[in-house]
Amino acid sequence: MKAKKGSINLQQTMEELKQQLKVQIIEALNLQDTRPEDIDDNAPLFGEGLGLDSIDSLELMVLLERYYKIKVEDPREGRKILQSVQSMAEFIQSKQPA
Amino acid sequence: MAAISPQHTFDGELTQPLTVTQGNMLSCVEPDYRGFIAPNSLRRMTRVLKMGLATSLKCLQDGGIAVPGAIVTGTGKGSLQDTERFIKEIRDYEERALNPTPFIQSTYNAVNGLIALQQKCTQYNNTFVHRGFSFEHALLDSLLLLSEGTPDVLAGAFDEITPEHFFIKGRIGHWKKETISNDQLYAHVSPGTISGEGAAFFLLTPQATEKSYAQIGGLQMLYKPSSEKLQCTLSQFLEQHGVQADEIDLVLTGANADSNHGHYYDVLTAYPKWTQLPFKHLCGDYETVGAFALWLGAMIVKQQQVPQHWFPMLEKQPGRMRNVLIYNHFFGEQHCFMLLQQVK
Repeated sequence: MKAKKGSINLQQTMEELKQQLKVQIIEALNLQDTRPEDIDDNAPLFGEGLGLDSIDSLELMVLLERYYKIKVEDPREGRKILQSVQSMAEFIQSKQPA
Repeated sequence: MAAISPQHTFDGELTQPLTVTQGNMLSCVEPDYRGFIAPNSLRRMTRVLKMGLATSLKCLQDGGIAVPGAIVTGTGKGSLQDTERFIKEIRDYEERALNPTPFIQSTYNAVNGLIALQQKCTQYNNTFVHRGFSFEHALLDSLLLLSEGTPDVLAGAFDEITPEHFFIKGRIGHWKKETISNDQLYAHVSPGTISGEGAAFFLLTPQATEKSYAQIGGLQMLYKPSSEKLQCTLSQFLEQHGVQADEIDLVLTGANADSNHGHYYDVLTAYPKWTQLPFKHLCGDYETVGAFALWLGAMIVKQQQVPQHWFPMLEKQPGRMRNVLIYNHFFGEQHCFMLLQQVK
């Protein structure tokens, strides 16, 4: 399930992308007691839900850049993108070439 | 005080049997950190950060003080694991998309910052990084702060070893070529020694309390001294602190079976009546090993007993331990005498 560094699979379905993102989030943030199936697609990543903090948001930005070559320039935009796994996946798909 | 070391030391007892490691790299016996650090913080910390923070918190708990008047530490290498990770990522990701966390956490003062944040301590906060004098300078600074009126100082040290760092130091001859176990260290006098790591913290107060383990009677550092200078300094050190040679009840030495630098410990042969015990088979060698020696010395002074199971070379328990001398040097460069005394 672990994506290769900087790889983008254009044929990936939304479900596959979300599953892959969950694995990457767990690995990047070292969420030791969390499994991909524990993360609800629409649950907030910050505050409630996974209870992530501001340093984690930086790490998620790095994750987007490393694996999907997407740079989030505007921090306000970042807040919306990193709301949930669903919003992250939608953002990634919106940046894929048609 | 509190210590995490390659021995079972975190529970603050000297009762556990000697931990024997096959190989020349001793790693700490780590406790369950969850009792000290929140899970959300824990997941981001590397080993040395966890060791440093947990030891400092245990020390404060032991001393019954939540917010110290100052936090002063020493480290020879800081956080190696984070430094290695950050450097590796620079290479792997071609200097782009770098994760800031290992960089932030690899700074030498990261442990001090964590302690200050956790305890909400906005007082004096300093980290000394002076190779084999790192802890000793932290201790000296702490003693100066106490003499200037700071009510209590949290002083400590932390260092870790990683396989990469062990390899690099091996290339410059720090470690023995032959593979041994720590309990056989002194039977292998040859170039190099065994590596180690650890964290030790002390809550220092200007006056003794009922919780005090021992008092620091003196501290003397020497950089690359000649044997004559070392000899002369030792006798002056004792005189300066009003201790006669026959009043030294025990000497803990940093002798590490390294034939390149072992001759410095000959300075102690001028005092044949002293009971001398080497301690590096317990913890290996690293820049801030002096902190472990101080912890061990203070435990022995408090308990008035040398743990025989840790020192099989001890022939006879010393009598009353009022004055314990610690002498250690770091690969022949940084030398230090410390005098520990029983609390009166």
